[in-house]
Amino acid sequence: MNEQSTPTSTSTLTKKSKPLNRRNVLMRTNRFGPNMTPMVDVTLVILIFFMASATIAGHEWFLKADLPQTQDPNQQSAGFSLPEPVLNADLFMNNQQVFVRGISDEPRSLELFLSQLAQMDQSLTKGLILSIRAADDVPYQAIATLCANASKQDIRVAIR
Amino acid sequence: MRTRSIITNTSAGARINVTPMIDVVMVLIVFYLLVGQLALDRKASIALPTSSTGIDESDTTDPIVVGITRSGALTINGLPIDSQRFRGEIEGMHARSPSTPVRIRADRDTPYVFVRPVMDQLRDAQISRVELVTEQSP
Repeated sequence: MNEQSTPTSTSTLTKKSKPLNRRNVLMRTNRFGPNMTPMVDVTLVILIFFMASATIAGHEWFLKADLPQTQDPNQQSAGFSLPEPVLNADLFMNNQQVFVRGISDEPRSLELFLSQLAQMDQSLTKGLILSIRAADDVPYQAIATLCANASKQDIRVAIR
Repeated sequence: MRTRSIITNTSAGARINVTPMIDVVMVLIVFYLLVGQLALDRKASIALPTSSTGIDESDTTDPIVVGITRSGALTINGLPIDSQRFRGEIEGMHARSPSTPVRIRADRDTPYVFVRPVMDQLRDAQISRVELVTEQSP
């Protein structure tokens, strides 16, 4: 029986040994072992999907902020138990722009305040706490921007 | 002419091997379902504020994530909650696990009038530190 079947399989091999049918020939001649094709397909799909979703989702960052306790429970947004030195930053809106009253009593735009914060000497910012208070209509983006810039200067942030 | 190995000769004639295609399609369906659900939970129509700096770490396993939409709607870990029940829920979660950090995911355009009560209630729940979640600015 073996002698009869051998010429048939040899001729099949010869017939199929074209370049395009290489995989097919290999699969037919070496039947042992797992078929890796589906696993490779699935792995590639997952890989591409992860790469695409990572690009679309964007990267998230975290900004630490303290929530200091009030000294007096009847007092809202004032009288916090913060160690010195504290730099107060009161945010408010004026003509659709965010202004800050902080470094001096004179209000200035958020951009100007941030540039002044960036120019502060490290000896001044060491151990400094930026205490943020915002008016009702101030967008949350302004507070996040202020927190981020303070973190860049190693200034602790407290939200009142 | 044969098309690679998807068409194989059997004694009954040629047929298409659909197994890899089914594998891939099933994986895609499951993945889209999972990612879609996760994206809904996490985003909840919140456009995060952008920042040029921040802490690039997520060292904690299960933080308490407080979501605030532009209209002031609140969520805790993706689940909507009304403002009356917010403090009790937060207090309970914080009491069960005091070391768990609290993350604020607020929309960038949310007026602070919606954020302040949340901060006050967190403060009242003896939470002394929060993490503001931002998106890396391009």
